[in-house]
Amino acid sequence: MSARPGSHVLQVPPAALPRLTTTATLASWLTTVDHKRIGILYGATAFAFFLLGGIEALLIRLQLAVPENTVVSAHTYNALFTMHGTTMIFLAIMPFNAMFFNFVVPLLIGARDVAFPRLNALSYWIFLAGGLVLNASLLTGTPPDVGWFGYANLTSLHYSPGLNVDFWIFALQILGVSSVMSAINFIVTILNLRAPGMSMMRMPVFVWMTLVVQFLIALAFPPITVGLIFLMFDRFFGTHFYDVAAGADLHLWQHLFWIFGHPEVYILILPAFGIVSEVLPTFARKPLFGAPVMIYSGVLIGFFGFGVWSHHMFAAGMGPVADSAFSIATMLIAIPTGVKIFNWLATLWGGSIRTTTALHFAVGLVGLFTIGGLSGIMHSSPPVDLQQTDSYFVVAHLHYVLIGGSLFGIFAGIYYWWPKMTGRMIGEGLGRLNFWLMFVGFNLAFFPQHYLGAIGMPRRIYTYRADQGWTVANFASTIGAFGIALAVLVFAINAWRSLRRGDPAPADPWDGRTLEWRTSSPPPAHDFDVVPPVYGRDSFWREKYGPRRGPAPGGATAEHPDGGHAGIHLPAPSHWPLLIALGMLIVAVGGLTHVALVVVGALWTLYAIVRLALEHHRTPEHAEQRGVLGLDHRKVAMWVFLGSECFFFGTMIATFLAYKGRSVVGPAPHEIFNIPVTSLSTFDLLMSSLLMVLALAAIQRSDHRHTRLWLFGTAFFGLIFLGFQAFEFTDFVHRGFTMQRNLFGSTFFLLTGLHGTHVAIGVFWLLSLWVLSLRGRLGAVDAIKVEIAGLYWHFVDVVWIAIFTLVYLIP
Amino acid sequence: MSTVMPRSDYAREILHVYGIITWFTLGIAAIVGLALAWVLTRFRARPGTTAMPAQIRGHTLLEMAWTVGPALVLLGIAIPTIQAVFRTQAAPPKDALEVTVRGHQWWWEFQYPALQVATANELHVPAGRTVALTLEGPDVIHSFWVPRLGGKRDVVPGRLNRLTFTADTPGVYRGQCAEFCGVSHANMGMQVVVEAPDAFARWVAAQKAESPEPAAGPAAEGKAIFASRACVGCHTIRGVSSGPIGPDLTTFGSRQTIAAGILPNTIDNVTEWIKNPTAIKPDAKMPALGLTDQQARAVATYLAGLK
Repeated sequence: MSARPGSHVLQVPPAALPRLTTTATLASWLTTVDHKRIGILYGATAFAFFLLGGIEALLIRLQLAVPENTVVSAHTYNALFTMHGTTMIFLAIMPFNAMFFNFVVPLLIGARDVAFPRLNALSYWIFLAGGLVLNASLLTGTPPDVGWFGYANLTSLHYSPGLNVDFWIFALQILGVSSVMSAINFIVTILNLRAPGMSMMRMPVFVWMTLVVQFLIALAFPPITVGLIFLMFDRFFGTHFYDVAAGADLHLWQHLFWIFGHPEVYILILPAFGIVSEVLPTFARKPLFGAPVMIYSGVLIGFFGFGVWSHHMFAAGMGPVADSAFSIATMLIAIPTGVKIFNWLATLWGGSIRTTTALHFAVGLVGLFTIGGLSGIMHSSPPVDLQQTDSYFVVAHLHYVLIGGSLFGIFAGIYYWWPKMTGRMIGEGLGRLNFWLMFVGFNLAFFPQHYLGAIGMPRRIYTYRADQGWTVANFASTIGAFGIALAVLVFAINAWRSLRRGDPAPADPWDGRTLEWRTSSPPPAHDFDVVPPVYGRDSFWREKYGPRRGPAPGGATAEHPDGGHAGIHLPAPSHWPLLIALGMLIVAVGGLTHVALVVVGALWTLYAIVRLALEHHRTPEHAEQRGVLGLDHRKVAMWVFLGSECFFFGTMIATFLAYKGRSVVGPAPHEIFNIPVTSLSTFDLLMSSLLMVLALAAIQRSDHRHTRLWLFGTAFFGLIFLGFQAFEFTDFVHRGFTMQRNLFGSTFFLLTGLHGTHVAIGVFWLLSLWVLSLRGRLGAVDAIKVEIAGLYWHFVDVVWIAIFTLVYLIP
Repeated sequence: MSTVMPRSDYAREILHVYGIITWFTLGIAAIVGLALAWVLTRFRARPGTTAMPAQIRGHTLLEMAWTVGPALVLLGIAIPTIQAVFRTQAAPPKDALEVTVRGHQWWWEFQYPALQVATANELHVPAGRTVALTLEGPDVIHSFWVPRLGGKRDVVPGRLNRLTFTADTPGVYRGQCAEFCGVSHANMGMQVVVEAPDAFARWVAAQKAESPEPAAGPAAEGKAIFASRACVGCHTIRGVSSGPIGPDLTTFGSRQTIAAGILPNTIDNVTEWIKNPTAIKPDAKMPALGLTDQQARAVATYLAGLK
């Protein structure tokens, strides 16, 4: 049988298969696992939040239109810019990008869906939960008001006593789970589900940019997750991570935030770069100039993007050596970025350019991002940055790259892929009006802000005095902001008209170059009647006009046995993703109100996760999920997840080491640790890994008795380890050493406690497998499930070795 | 508060680098802008064209050129940048005037340890002498920024940051906190008064002297109110009170602005401030003490005489 995740086998002629239709029921939308529907859900939700963030921006601009204005109070204003920034980044741009990842990436690589359709749906519902949590703060009158990067210690309980910061923490953590889960899904999809002949270098540049972005997400979110956990524990449980009096260093928050925050801006822009790299060649009718270099530069940007974060901290006082190092690194990143601009220009050069709306927005990005990038070069020089940072100059810079860059790219993508996603054409006349209103409005809104920054206007101020000389530029900026709003209105009208009575769209309205144009608009539920052949980069163009290249050397082979159109498998809908997200929402509400709800929500979530995990335990099509890499999807996913976990634990270990010796009161590590006892528990955990290896070997040879023995043994040894840990913690607490005692207590208990939580999850997982085996429901075909549990278990073991060495043993 | 009208060595050093970068970036912007305009006009598809343009995939030499070119430009930016980084963060000379800056929510405290003088919100420095600021803070992160005198530096509780400059031209320069620090972040301004050395010496002397006795009438009445109310718990007036919490008011009358640079120092403004601080500066820590308008005006009159 064919290897397709979770499916109904449809034995019908392809032409009769159902098309994606908007007359589907509400229930079908709530349980969908179809990447196209999920993409539309992301897009519609993103648009709603985009409007909300836009209203927040208009209120900001109204308040600043004239000096000493009284449209909103200082409190409200501070919440407005916090919510505007958080909303636009996490609830607008990222989900708009996710709309394209979801709808288009499987089509671009000739796949029929993503690797894990139900996890895909889960990512969406969790994202929605996060957006609801953040905006629920508006209903309680306690929206976060500390800026979108919430510097400690303004965010401490002492200086921000209300629920405002708590809403912010919970929302961001929930959104982080959604993003990382989605990242794992798309990495596995892109690596493992490519059509035969689609080697990595033949993938469209948009897919490459998506791949880089997913790695950035998987690795950049853990540091901020840790930073937010520290903040949450400080606020809820009295730890000292950001407590200056206890010896904490307030730079810690900034480092953790910006180690996430800088890759985040590449997460925001690279998809737009990818879109431009598809749109320009299509409407210039020639290939992307220097596609390999565009790919390499994207990868380089992603990689080096992890090395520049402290250019956000030039004013923080890191010293001249650190300032210089980050300055040089930041300038270096400008090189691969600049190369892209020139390659795009060269793509247009010599072309036969059709000036569609999509092309307008793509060209707009090239021009506007250049401006934003150049002001970024200015910021890369610390002396200059020390005048420009935290002023309206940096506000101008960030909006040029985020609106002129990301948003224009998103609109280019919307106009480009609209026919494919909706099956309708969208008006070119209104489209151009949309573009020009946005272009003019945007430049009027933000170009004057360079000037405002240069003449000394700080950012995040709710008002200013009339004698500052800032009035005219602010007023102009406000007019421009309303111009942008008008442009969005025009877009909404254009979109509405298209959906109501737009011309039906053909499969290939633009004479496209890539595989999504090879299927109908919109695609049928199964995407492609036949898995498309791949003739090289720009495969569909080559199919139409040549030259066709054969199978790529060392590229994808026919790992997709359903090359014909008999027996196409569709992933089955599921209600568990929605229910899991609901459980997480309840946990967040509990965190803001009453701990009982936390318990209820956690149990509900856990139950729903187990049901999701077992939903297709016996579905034959789920048994074998091997992909292009020759590896099972679930194995690749686990490796990516563990990579993310490396950054998670690495951040906590680094914090422990950074804070070593800074505690103001005792005890110190050597005064409290019991090394002999801890050595025993370490040995126990190491032995448990041995038992895990035996368990895997047993199930692979169908020896169920020994499978059960070793699974239970591993879990049992894990429980012994946890027992040692409980003993240690209790002993410490009795001796007055708690996480509230000093910095060492805070870092130690959080690090080892979270590790212990990982062990406990592993024990639960292994015992679940053991129970399945007891009931005769764990066969050799399920060996992969034991294998990935084993990977997880070994990883948790290795982390403990690192902790034991760096925390316990090193003096 | 212009960043391009420097009045100190630090600000001039920055403007020099800024100028270099600006020329390069304007040049690149022009090249890209012109190239974009050119390709969009020249290669626009004529209506009715069906011919496919040449399917050029790349050109290694060109791509190398526009990789190396920007790299060279960046070298031209990096070198003066690194030089300026080290020059502007060099240790100050031993004879520099040391000032400790403490950023509070939402006002600035200035202490001159060698001169045994303290003030608030209005920093006086002599022209032509290096000033070495040490920035510290008891509450949250702020940022000290006086654009015409140089770049900004954060006030980070638990750390000591430094900012060194030599102002060259007497004058009054505005500054403002530049790191979001809570509700009234927008209301945390300051003035830096750069004056000739003898004028500075006179200011120091006035700060050290015991405050003069007020004239009879409203001013004397105001002093009596000040001395008998909670004011003395927060504010220091040399010879009268030594409150450690709020701004030092010893020579309050000589300041140009009040409430951290947000209102001109007039008796009317000071009266309104005293009556209801949070109406002017949201969430200000200074409480309204329930003074009548006449009482507040009396205190304002007293304070106006403290030069």
